[in-house]
Parts: sequence; C-alpha cells; structure tokens
Amino acid sequence: MALPQPPVSQPPASAQSPAAPQNPPPPPQSTRTGPGRLLVAVYGLFALSATARAVVQIATKFHDAPVAYLLSAFAGLVYIVATVTLGNGSPRARRIALVSCSVEFVGVLAVGTWSLLDKATFPDATVWSGYGSGYGYVPLVLPVFGLLWLRYWSRRSATKDAAADQSSSER
Amino acid sequence: MSAVNGAVPTTIIVAGLALAGCALLMTALNRRMGGGLLVALGVLEILLLVLVGLIVAKVAGGGRPPGGLAVLIGYLVAIPLIPLAAGFWGALERSRWGPAVIAVAGLVAAVLMVRLHEIWPAIGV
Repeated sequence: MALPQPPVSQPPASAQSPAAPQNPPPPPQSTRTGPGRLLVAVYGLFALSATARAVVQIATKFHDAPVAYLLSAFAGLVYIVATVTLGNGSPRARRIALVSCSVEFVGVLAVGTWSLLDKATFPDATVWSGYGSGYGYVPLVLPVFGLLWLRYWSRRSATKDAAADQSSSER
Repeated sequence: MSAVNGAVPTTIIVAGLALAGCALLMTALNRRMGGGLLVALGVLEILLLVLVGLIVAKVAGGGRPPGGLAVLIGYLVAIPLIPLAAGFWGALERSRWGPAVIAVAGLVAAVLMVRLHEIWPAIGV
C-alpha cells in the first residue's frame, strides 16, 4: 500500500543549480508558486489592462473599430481565465488553463497577422495587434511560458499518478 | 506648475526602473524578498499617490485630457494598486520569484508614466 513516492522531476526551464546554499529554494508547491508567481502576476496585469481598455473602448467609441474592441474584450476574458486557473492550480484548473493559454497563443498569432494584412479593420489597436507590439511583445511570449509551465506540471503530476495507479484503480 | 508636473513622473520613471533593476538582480542572485524591497515599493507608492493627487487637482481645476477622461480615471484608479498588489503577491513567495514580481511593478510604473503622457501631454515626463 504505502509505496515510496518517486523523486519529483525538475523542470527543464529552471534546472539551474541552486546558488544560495544557506536557503535552498523549495520546489514549487502549485502553479502559483515559484516561477508561477511571476507568471500569474503578469497574467493578472494583462487581465486588468486588456479588460479595462476594452470596457472603456466599447463604452465610449464602440463604432470606431468594433472588431478591434471586441477582440480586446475577448483577449481580456482569456487573460482573466488564465490568471484564475493558474492561480488555482488544481488538475481541473490546469486543464482549463491549458485551453486558455492555447487559445491565447493562437489568438495573438492570428490577430497579429490579421492586423498587419487588413489595417482597415483595425483603425485602433487591440492587445494582440502586431503580435502585441504595443505591449513590448509580452502578449506573444506570455502564452509560450504559460504552456511550458503547464507542461512541467502535467509531467510532474503524471509521475505522481503513475505511482498512485500501482496501488489504486485508475480514475 | 508644469515643472512640478514634469518632475514627479520623471522621478517615478527613474525610481521604477531602479527598483526593477535591484529586484531583478535579487532574482538573478537567487535572493528572497526582504524588507528593503518592500520599503522601496512603499516609496514608489507614495510617489504615485502624489502624482494622482496632482492630476486630480488638474482635473478639478478644469483641465481635460485629449485622450479621454474615462481612460484617465481608469489609470488614476489602477496606478496606486500596482505596488500594493505586487507587494502582497510578491511577499507570499518564499523564493527568488518574489523579487521578480516587484520588478514587474517597477517596470509597469515607468511604462504607465509614458502612457499617461500620451493620454495627456500636459503631464510631462
């Protein structure tokens, strides 16, 4: 019954040797700790800025650029979902986060390309215009780190599940 | 008046970038959150509140930003929350990634000054 837990695999992204010997960093306990702390902070920042921007634009000048403003609102929604689910970190939340980070990555690539090809539809910018160039290309990089972070967690929990499946039936 | 309005945002940009630099250095050196970063964050918060006060006085005096009053009010609400949220979220972290959250707040404070200037050029940089 009581099988020993296998050692938890380290993430490829943060495989550096711990520098400070007096306080070795504990492994992240959740998707919101460790590097996830920074990731959730940046996602929260974009959730706030994209949503607030879209609300103001839709409320004050919706007809100037309806497509751009609706896409801003959609982006804001995706950022909110990613922030909440990465901040939660349960297996179910991680599955939702995987979907929202994927949608976000496809969205920034699609809207970025669309905004460059069809400037008439985008008289005003969205968060994802020009692949997020108005936001220092952070919107382009952020989903990549989100997906890498989620992959690290799915591998880590797969290691744990493999051990659990030996003593109990699969879920 | 305009000299005062220009000096505060410039100070915030310098302070925000300096804070971000220190915090990123701490992340690179694998240092955890300390009291020094929180004090620096408090100084940034005070500077931002001074700026919000100056801008509110400008609006109360009849000034209107070309970029839209709604956008400006949104910024005035969000700006003082940045160091508070970063301090709370970063202080929860017991690893090098706590200072990294503080670095984001410093960078965002600097970027927001440039954005404010775009909304209302009367707010100098």
